Amino acid sequence: MDLVQIARSNLEGFRYAGTEVALCVLIVALLLSGVILPFRKNRRLFLIISMLGLALAMTASLKQPGAGKGVRYFADLFLWDSFSVFFKLFFVAAAAFTILMAQMNREVEDYEFNECCLLVVSVTLGMVLLASSVDLLMIYLAFETMSLLSYLLVGIRFREARGGEAALKYVLYGAFTSGVMLFGFSLVYGLAGTTDIMEIGRILNSAHMAGQNRALFVLMVLFFLAGLLFKTASFPFHIWCPDVYEGAPTPVTAFLSVGPKAAGFAVFIRLFYTLFAREVGDQGFAAIEQVDWPAIVAVISAITMSLGNLSAIHQDNVKRLLAYSSIAHAGYLLMGIACLDKLGLEAVAFYLVVYLFMNLGAFAVVTAVNNGEGGEDIRFYRGLSARAPMACVAMAVFLFSLIGIPPFAGFVGKVFLFSAVILKKYYWLAIVAAINTVISLYYYVRLIKAMFIDQAEVSFEPRVSGVSYAVIGALALPTLVLGVYWQPLAAFIESIF
Amino acid sequence: MNSLTTYLLIAAMLFTIGLFGVLRRRSLIAMLISIELMLNAASINFLAFTKFVSPDPATGQIYVLLIMGVAAAEVAIALAIIISLYRWLRTIDIERADRLRG
Amino acid sequence: MQSHILSWIIFFPLIGAAIICFLPKRLESWMKPIALASTVPQLYWAYKLYVNFERANPSFQFVEHTSWILRFNIDYYLGVDGVSMPMVLLTALLSFICILASWNIDKYIRGYFSLFLLLDTAMMGVFCALDFFLFYIFWELMLLPMYFLIGVWGGPKKEYAAIKFFLFTLVGSVFMLIAMLAFYFGSVEPATGLHSFDFTILANQAAHIGILKDPVVRWGCYLLLLIGFAIKIPLVPFHTWLPDAHVEAPTAISVILAGVLLKMGTYGLIRISYPVLPDMARAFAPVVAAFGLVSIIYGAFCAMAQKDLKKLIAYSSISHMGFVVLGMSVFSNTIGINGAILQMFNHGIITAMLFLLVGVIYDRAHTRDIDGFGGLAHNMPVFAGYTGLAFMAGLGLPGLSSFISEALCLIGAFQTYKVMTVLATTSIIITAGYFLWTMQRIFLGPMNERWEDLPEISLREAACLTPLAIIVVVLGFYPMPILDMIGATLRNTVHLVVAMR
Repeated sequence: MDLVQIARSNLEGFRYAGTEVALCVLIVALLLSGVILPFRKNRRLFLIISMLGLALAMTASLKQPGAGKGVRYFADLFLWDSFSVFFKLFFVAAAAFTILMAQMNREVEDYEFNECCLLVVSVTLGMVLLASSVDLLMIYLAFETMSLLSYLLVGIRFREARGGEAALKYVLYGAFTSGVMLFGFSLVYGLAGTTDIMEIGRILNSAHMAGQNRALFVLMVLFFLAGLLFKTASFPFHIWCPDVYEGAPTPVTAFLSVGPKAAGFAVFIRLFYTLFAREVGDQGFAAIEQVDWPAIVAVISAITMSLGNLSAIHQDNVKRLLAYSSIAHAGYLLMGIACLDKLGLEAVAFYLVVYLFMNLGAFAVVTAVNNGEGGEDIRFYRGLSARAPMACVAMAVFLFSLIGIPPFAGFVGKVFLFSAVILKKYYWLAIVAAINTVISLYYYVRLIKAMFIDQAEVSFEPRVSGVSYAVIGALALPTLVLGVYWQPLAAFIESIF
Repeated sequence: MNSLTTYLLIAAMLFTIGLFGVLRRRSLIAMLISIELMLNAASINFLAFTKFVSPDPATGQIYVLLIMGVAAAEVAIALAIIISLYRWLRTIDIERADRLRG
Repeated sequence: MQSHILSWIIFFPLIGAAIICFLPKRLESWMKPIALASTVPQLYWAYKLYVNFERANPSFQFVEHTSWILRFNIDYYLGVDGVSMPMVLLTALLSFICILASWNIDKYIRGYFSLFLLLDTAMMGVFCALDFFLFYIFWELMLLPMYFLIGVWGGPKKEYAAIKFFLFTLVGSVFMLIAMLAFYFGSVEPATGLHSFDFTILANQAAHIGILKDPVVRWGCYLLLLIGFAIKIPLVPFHTWLPDAHVEAPTAISVILAGVLLKMGTYGLIRISYPVLPDMARAFAPVVAAFGLVSIIYGAFCAMAQKDLKKLIAYSSISHMGFVVLGMSVFSNTIGINGAILQMFNHGIITAMLFLLVGVIYDRAHTRDIDGFGGLAHNMPVFAGYTGLAFMAGLGLPGLSSFISEALCLIGAFQTYKVMTVLATTSIIITAGYFLWTMQRIFLGPMNERWEDLPEISLREAACLTPLAIIVVVLGFYPMPILDMIGATLRNTVHLVVAMR
């Protein structure tokens, strides 16, 4: 292939890389505007630039691929299919809400806001690349782009000891687990001799592999799991999560709990469902014979949710509480992955969308409370409903949705996950998840009780700005609507798998 | 013992040493070094596989180059964070980073 | 042509709730009238349902059926039959009366009445829904307003009571969710080949496939549903939330809790468990009956030991719901199950009266300590009269409504469970004992001077109590208005259970 042809095929690729290009342009714009001195502290300017750029990225990702297996681009490293489009939209939306929250947040100083936007957009770029890459090399690079920049994002308040410590814990765990995962990649490469995951999947699932290399396969699966469980904050690599969530500024915490977590699930699905499973019929997959990884994932899922929920019970710091809740939710999501069929994948995707709204919403309220003289401790929430009724009602909606009570969206997500599990006859897992739902009720309602029933302990004036209300409202509305009418979203998600 | 196995054994040893180092050492710098060892083990694997198994001799080498780049970036970021934290803690002992707990 | 009367009866209170939510602060005094006004049409529609209901027709009437969520084949499917009709009437009546009884609420009026109307919608929805998913949504929707109504407007230990209620009920709900999804995947709609949540399809044994043909799964599903409903009824090992919730809840909420919510457990068993899993219903019947018996006796003894008037009535509720459970566990005749449904209705009315009366005295005396009263009949004769009537109805005096229903339950049960029925009958003596003893301690004997100037029952309170009292007396002599309605449907249900091999 001569150079002209290569150049042409790469140019062709840009047709599918609209989101990536838009994000790159946005990054450059933020970099350039950030160095112009008079603008350095102009929050509104950076907000407008970011929103414009993200809107562009959003429109660029809207184009849907038709039926079929999608299109490869950029030397076959990336795949443009409905799966990647779904996650691109998801990540861009998460970034937009995060920047809106950061704009109204006081923890991020004026002079840090530009960096904050820049880092959020860059992490988003990493996630977007991750969602569409189908080559081990590219997956690793995108994974690291996302990870490295999110370490910085956590440490953006490095002038505070808490921020630095959170970043340190994040980077150590992250580097360690991604190193383990990389070792797993090298083993897969050695076994298959190629880095294209579709090709590897064919080879690993082929007949002449069957029954061989059992120990090697177990090792590979475990090494892969290390990196993925870290990103999704699941047992046994969840320990960083509460510390990092507490130490990072609230909007960043919100972003981490949704963006990189969802990216972790995206790449989890991409890797495990192509490398270690093959499609059987039009609804299901079959795992490779050498290692029963769905069972492993199911057990991890049960442990993760129980651990997250039980640890959350005693938390008095709301951010820590939400961190443990996010661990528990990772456990719920893993149920869908363990199911190994289309319904399970749909459940994961649906739950992620719902989780985006309700979890970001909860953090948006936490941000708003932090903004006054309030803090993250639960005592600042006592009796808050008398002073900020709308915010408290919204928080109640988000928390009930997180529990999974109708008529809120979280319930529908739970229905999806439970139905996938029951269809797969994992009855024990369904019972464990059911009991976990009840446990989670206890600590979420503790917060609701603090807001609506308890008497105020600390009297401070929560300053919830108009923008905050707009953001909270924009997140509460889908949480309500998707709980009552979710056919369009369900149909869309059904079409991507 | 053929030569692929030799490489793989060396890589596995490096990886194990790195793993053990991360889990046991309490000095931040030593932990970083251990993580680098793990990355290097993976690199050796890639090179060995490229040489002995892969039909395309370039892939593994490109991989290794990129890993080196990523590793450098990772160390840079980690060191920056460690230094900024050092200003508060005046130590590089991980046990002392315990403000966040509960 | 589809009539939308059921949609209206369910969702009209929600309109009222929305208006109250967005009413400006300066119009606060309008909120109570608006709340009352949004329950009046419900009464009217309930009356129209009562008049137009075809007594001889065992199937669903006033049906509304449209597709809602295609992905899971969920329908918006409403309808009433003989089992749900009395419950709909009960709900409409008690909602109206409870709004009237809440007139003295003065804390967060907006929140209270909008949540109450939301609760009203949810309760009505549970009794009208014919799609399991829709049923489940309404079922869970009750939890939120109930939690806040107990938690915010309740007594001194309200937080504890509210969270206990919430936790217990949610345990039942999540178990029900699992059973519901198992039903979904184990059924197939003959016309389309899709899975279904539709009660009428689920009740068709020919529509069961795959996992729902597996006896172990059927057994598990029945058990899960049973636990869910037993918590709501409540049967004895699952009852501990009830005394706490009742004691702490404000008067009107206690009325709703005992009058309507408890009935949902038994209603759910008849609506879901029996038709879908009739073989398991038969297999479990003796166990369920035994739990019913334990509830009857345990509830009665506990009631006897209470010093708090409200707690006494709460335990008597457990005891009376035991009769319902005992009556509906009989399949050799239709007498027991007829008695059970009638008892559900009667108990709803009587217990509502009792709680309203406790509310009356608590509002005046700010205590519910039975031993602290005495001789109240002297200065509150009308109140004493109402209470006497309610107590007599509670203990099953012939000529008052619950005598007939309890007798039917026992007569029906005797054919199958002879020993249990005999044991259950003894509880009537205990019940008479504690009601009469309480009567004596509060109203008779020497006048307690502390309460000398308690004012007599007010017009509003009398307006709440009188309709209930009339119903108690009328149904005591002539229960046919209810029995006519339920007979055809229940014959069908029992036939379904017995016919299943």
